[in-house]
Amino acid sequence: MRQVRLIAVNFVREQRWPILVLMLWVGVLSIMGVVVDVRRSGEDVLLIFKQVAAYGVAFAVFFGASAIHNERKTRRILSVLSKGVGREQYVAGLLCGITFAVSLYALAVAMTGTWILEPAGFPVRHLWFLMLCLLIASILAAAVAVLFSTFLNPLFATLSAILVLGMPAAAAAELDAKWADLIPVYALLELLMKASFSQKWTARWDLVLLGFFESGLCWVAASWVFSRRDIAVAID
Amino acid sequence: MVPALEFDEVTKQYNRWYRPQRVTALDGLTLTVEPGEIFGFLGPNGAGKTTAIHLAMGFMRPTAGRGLMLGKPFGDRKTRRRIGFLAENVALYYRPAEELVRFYGALNDVPGPCLKLRVRKVLEALGLVEYARRNAGKFSRGLLQRVGLAQALINDPELVVLDEPTSALDPVARVTVRELLTNMRNLGKTVFVSSHLLSEVELISDRVAVLNRGRLVRVGKTSELLASDEKLEITVRGIRPDVFPGGQALNGVVKFRIGSQQQRAALEQVWQLGGEVLSVNPVRRSLEQVFLELTAPAPAGAERISHR
Repeated sequence: MRQVRLIAVNFVREQRWPILVLMLWVGVLSIMGVVVDVRRSGEDVLLIFKQVAAYGVAFAVFFGASAIHNERKTRRILSVLSKGVGREQYVAGLLCGITFAVSLYALAVAMTGTWILEPAGFPVRHLWFLMLCLLIASILAAAVAVLFSTFLNPLFATLSAILVLGMPAAAAAELDAKWADLIPVYALLELLMKASFSQKWTARWDLVLLGFFESGLCWVAASWVFSRRDIAVAID
Repeated sequence: MVPALEFDEVTKQYNRWYRPQRVTALDGLTLTVEPGEIFGFLGPNGAGKTTAIHLAMGFMRPTAGRGLMLGKPFGDRKTRRRIGFLAENVALYYRPAEELVRFYGALNDVPGPCLKLRVRKVLEALGLVEYARRNAGKFSRGLLQRVGLAQALINDPELVVLDEPTSALDPVARVTVRELLTNMRNLGKTVFVSSHLLSEVELISDRVAVLNRGRLVRVGKTSELLASDEKLEITVRGIRPDVFPGGQALNGVVKFRIGSQQQRAALEQVWQLGGEVLSVNPVRRSLEQVFLELTAPAPAGAERISHR
């Protein structure tokens, strides 16, 4: 566990600038709370809030798709994996680091959202549940991206992750809505994107649990693949 | 006693889906490194040294063969806690040297109270105390290499695997590292060092192995490898330099080389001429000479050797 924590903290430290950029969006959102009259333009503010929140998933995919590649490219991974660190611990450390970063983001967005949207009448419990959905969707998206990044370069890992995460949405549109729950990133984001002041909401805990469980599965798969990869060869 | 490192017919081939031919980086390497020795691992660029080291560390999986490190299969996580490793062209995170070394020690599960002491100790040993709070990202290559060595030694390893450890160091730092490695051997630890600096290897290694094009071409004690069993160098005084072919005079002393079979006759001749024998020494070749001989392009069908 110590190794996982160290790798996670190290990841956050190394990615502090992208994380800061991510947090700047929350700053933009909070400026809206000051300059816009939320009681009159509630739906507009909510729309922007949802868009800003969804950036967390995009960042999670980019973090996940490039994490291993960056470490291999700089050859820093050799010094880390020459220690008593298992490949599964390494992958877990990266995922925990990404989870920490997106948790920070989700928390900041949730707090800002509460401050901006509550006066306009948006239910706070609903908002915090949506942020939990955002967090789980981000973790699952990152886990899928990390899985692909164990054997693909960042570009292809990102494209593959987007493809896999988007397939349930396509299947839901073409076949049956239940297909969206297969890899529930889209389904979780849909809850967020369809939220409105007038909507009666119900907590979809099944999706949250499924997303969490599938993140674990992706970690197992990524660890399995990564433990079979030659990490010291030139990457291209 | 369990060997520190053991390669058993280890082969590594690289292949890419878009290339029809496989590249053989290591071809049936069989080699044993005994505990408590400094083992020099030599070879020209592309010989497969780094590949062998990376296989031993578990960064890669062999295409064929197997290997053991401290009695456990290559890549065993618990065993790696007892190993120190320095990669070629060391790459570390950008943060203060002390913090960096502590990070790597913690990764190796060095307990907290012990870790602080160990960090101090290795930084002192490598002359890094004054740089401890400076960002390693701004270090020169030599300083970075010293920090790399510090992280390799932080866990007081039983086996140290060093890939080009002194390539960027200045002469003073080289002497420090040499003494450090010699002290480690004296404490019963094993040092496996790959280097192009043959004079360094010659000075510290108990045994060396020479790799060429992925194949082991020679392994043996350094002293045996360097000794020439054919020639002796005799230093005398009081005779003319032209008495023996190739004789050279310098400051009244004459030196010449003869075959070991002619030793008695040559000495008797010196005495008969009224000369004085100052020394008789076997001619030692430099490791560089041996290296160049062994890595010269070989005729087709040359034999591969194995050694245990």
